Amino acid sequence: MPTLEFAPLFWWGLPLAAAPVLIHLINLLRQRRVKWAAMEFLLASQRRYRTRVLLRQIALLALRTLAVLGLVAALAQPRWRAAGGIAGGDATTHLVILDDSCSMGDTTGAESDLETDTTAGDTRRATAFDRGRRVVERIAADLAATAGRHRLAVAVTSQLATSSDVLPPLLPLLPFTDIAPGTIQTVRDAVGRAAAGDGATGLREACPAMRRLAAAAGGRRVVWLVGDFRSRDWLGSDEPAATLRQLAADGATLRLVDCAGDGPGGNLTLERLEVVGGVPAANVLLPVEVEVRNDGSTPVRDVAIELREDGGGRPGVRIDEIPAGGMVSRRFDVRFTAPGSHTIEAALPGDVLKADDGRQTVIDVVDRVDVLVVDGAPDAASGGGAGSSGDGFYVATALAPGAGAATGLRPRVVPPAALAATDLSRFACLWVLDVERLDAAAVAAIEAYVRAGGGVVFFCGPRTRGDVVNDTLHRSGAGLFPVPLAGAIDLLPDAKAAAQTPDVTVEDHPVVAVLAGQRNPLLDAVRIERFWAIDRGFDAAGHGVRRLLSLRTGQPLVIEKTFGDGLVVAVLTTAAPEWNNWARANPSWVVVLLELEGHLARLRRRAESVTVGEPVTVRLEAGVDEPDVDFLVPPDAALLRQTAVATSGPMLEATLPATAHAGLVEARWRRLDGTERQRSFAVNVDPGEGRLERAGVGRLEAALRGVPFRYDRAADVAATAGDFAGRPLALPLLIVVAALLLLEQLVAYAAGYHPVARRPTA
Amino acid sequence: MTRGSRRYLRPDAIARIHRLELRARAVVEGALAGLHKSPFKGQSVEFLQHREYVRGDDLRRVDWKVWGRQDRFTVKEFEEETNLRLTLLVDGSTSMDYRGGAEAVPPRPTKYDAAATLAASLGWLALSHGDAVGCGVFDDRLRASVPARTKRSQLASICEVLEAPRNAGAGDFQRVLRSVAEALPKRGMIVIVSDLLGDRDGIFAGLQLLRTRGHDLAIVHVLDDDEIDFRFEGATRFEGLELPAHIACNPRALREGYLAAVEAFLAEVRRRAAAVRCDYALVRTGEPLDAALVRFLSRRASVAV
Repeated sequence: MPTLEFAPLFWWGLPLAAAPVLIHLINLLRQRRVKWAAMEFLLASQRRYRTRVLLRQIALLALRTLAVLGLVAALAQPRWRAAGGIAGGDATTHLVILDDSCSMGDTTGAESDLETDTTAGDTRRATAFDRGRRVVERIAADLAATAGRHRLAVAVTSQLATSSDVLPPLLPLLPFTDIAPGTIQTVRDAVGRAAAGDGATGLREACPAMRRLAAAAGGRRVVWLVGDFRSRDWLGSDEPAATLRQLAADGATLRLVDCAGDGPGGNLTLERLEVVGGVPAANVLLPVEVEVRNDGSTPVRDVAIELREDGGGRPGVRIDEIPAGGMVSRRFDVRFTAPGSHTIEAALPGDVLKADDGRQTVIDVVDRVDVLVVDGAPDAASGGGAGSSGDGFYVATALAPGAGAATGLRPRVVPPAALAATDLSRFACLWVLDVERLDAAAVAAIEAYVRAGGGVVFFCGPRTRGDVVNDTLHRSGAGLFPVPLAGAIDLLPDAKAAAQTPDVTVEDHPVVAVLAGQRNPLLDAVRIERFWAIDRGFDAAGHGVRRLLSLRTGQPLVIEKTFGDGLVVAVLTTAAPEWNNWARANPSWVVVLLELEGHLARLRRRAESVTVGEPVTVRLEAGVDEPDVDFLVPPDAALLRQTAVATSGPMLEATLPATAHAGLVEARWRRLDGTERQRSFAVNVDPGEGRLERAGVGRLEAALRGVPFRYDRAADVAATAGDFAGRPLALPLLIVVAALLLLEQLVAYAAGYHPVARRPTA
Repeated sequence: MTRGSRRYLRPDAIARIHRLELRARAVVEGALAGLHKSPFKGQSVEFLQHREYVRGDDLRRVDWKVWGRQDRFTVKEFEEETNLRLTLLVDGSTSMDYRGGAEAVPPRPTKYDAAATLAASLGWLALSHGDAVGCGVFDDRLRASVPARTKRSQLASICEVLEAPRNAGAGDFQRVLRSVAEALPKRGMIVIVSDLLGDRDGIFAGLQLLRTRGHDLAIVHVLDDDEIDFRFEGATRFEGLELPAHIACNPRALREGYLAAVEAFLAEVRRRAAAVRCDYALVRTGEPLDAALVRFLSRRASVAV
């Protein structure tokens, strides 16, 4: 329905329409009194012209009233909209979605654009979020001075995308509020409390909630998206276009306001800080890798990375040069002497986006890391543990050589029959050595363990039965064993070769990277006599199987495949020097097994790294731990108590549904025996937030093809611009007022209200 | 000269009209021989003097012998002519108190003031020619009067009558004129100075009665410029001087109808005055009264036989 809207001034000026009537009444009171002799002629005239005089007087009053009304209306910036309610009826609902993701902390282009911090009183460079706040304030101010009734709600994307009882979902920063000159301060206060967060929840991520909120608003809507419109958010996904298309189809007017600054950028991002191997045990060296990405268009040289361990300083690392658009990593070792949660922090020199210049990781160091070795040898089955010549012995010895070489690992050798009764989750990884057969329960337990992120290594030897492996473990690719086994065959000597050719060749894989490169005398000394060949018709590469080591014949010797969230490695020969001599006095055996253990356990350890916005989960043991867990969350260590709930198995899980800021989340709980437990989690920003390349209006239009929207830079936005504001009627109204006044003059002249020049009567 | 004569006899006006003669248009009965033509035949006349012809003089009075000898027009004047009995009736009703032109310089007189001035001037003229002049002021009845006399002090008596206090009230012409007809046994000339606002049937019935009794009649119709032109502007409340009515209006909205009504009124008065063979002259209070008097006398002279 068409709408005629006015600024609030109209309602203030409306009483002026009574002015002509009031002036008429006042004139009646102030009229001149004349004692008149010739009343009979006057009475005769009045009798004759009473109706005409009355009609002209009414017409005059009506014209004057209309003229005043028209003038007031013209001053009140009237606007005509083809669709909407009757004037003064439905309000226009303005839903402002303010991007508070990490990238909105970008200060690019703000060399002269300063913002005063209201709390500290300091002056700093304005961020994109600061510009967004100003845009919201300007929208409110414009709407307050614009015709019609307007309601405004402001929500930040992190609130829209959060869905939990702890952090209430869809809680707008400013609930729907009727905008008037008196409520501008309310809007200013509301947005003044907001700040750019550390999360990666931008406008794209808020799309589903945005659609729900816009639907809840109902009526005539204008959806304002106030953000930085980065390429990575808007050009790589169809979701924003789909959401905006749906909003437009629902009748919403779309306004996109780009708050990102103009400038060279040149942002450096700490892309990664993680333990890249090793065993997180006390007194064991742990390799840690830090990686820096340069999103600028020019190389960055001499980048110093500051490092801290448990809050204390330690020598940093330096990167000579990071190419434009490239990444460079550096590795350093850390060693913690005491078990517990330890923190490593890395920081880059400040740049346009400070939030992605720091990163931290928590390493849960234990006294010893348990690994489970399932030995298929008969003596292991008798309960004797690893014998002195069996597979279990060689694997356990390699993982825990003894006091002289601390690996931090504590292998536990069990027979296959003990698998079903063992809680596999306690172990960093599994080693299954030449087992003839695993029952269904054991297979299910191993598969569940691997799916949850665990790692398992299978060694195949004389006790291994190919058909059993194929039927129970491989299951035509559905099981966790990477390949179907064809049969055990001997590796025949290479009679044609003039010199001794190494039986084993190294593939491109991080586990054996230490052995790659030039010929390695240690690995060259490895002789493989017998191995399990895989089915020739099996397309290993097509099934995601990756090689670590191969035989000189080209057949695989050590292969790897992901299964669920975990990894499965199959070594197609024995661990003991039965079909090969690898474990016999060859140091590469120990190196490869330790690397392999670190590689397999990495996934389980890395899962504890959390990105802002993700939940933090603490696993508790039922009957051992109390279910209540106190989470201390950054930035001010606010306490949030969560009660653990049962999951599958004997474990309980207490989950902090979401994190809003980068930093350390500390979980504290008690055990039933009264002892206190504590665990820390590093919450880091999404490094993708550091990719500050703007989509720009051209690419946005391409990405949002078919979606009607208006794009403005933050400095240019005007709430009254655009189709929603309707067609201005001030000028036509003024013309109508002029016509009314002209008509009024004519009627007034006809009615005898104009003075005339005196002429002598003939 | 009394206060009343000073007020109503303006020397400048009298200086301009002293040579004019008041002539009776019809035959009237005169007690004195004089300038006026007598209705009775056979009485001797004695030549008095020649004077220069002026426009309006009867051509029969031109001395053609003088013209033949000297080639100039002269008129013979005789010492004795029929005496005139002139009665002046001035309307003293409330409606005559209207004074218009508050912003006019000099201020306009009220209609009564103008009427009294005209009456006193006519009286003085008639007395200066040896005519008998009487005067009365009336509203619903004859309030004050003085019978016709020729003595010089008569003018003061007339002015005293004109100056006498008046009672506010509407005029009752028929009653007044009937009483005048009964009070004047001899025929004479009666000049009524009034605004004629009131019962017009009564007015002309009274005039018809006087005419029947053989009186020569003249009406000097005195109206204010406002009453003729109605040039009021702005919201005005008109309150009746005689009628108990009031109108709050924009005067210009009613002007057209008012002027039409006034025009009809004046046409009716002229028509009905002619019907009773009564001279009629309209005098505006805004015009110089001497000019109005000259116009009145000239008109009477031009129609005189």
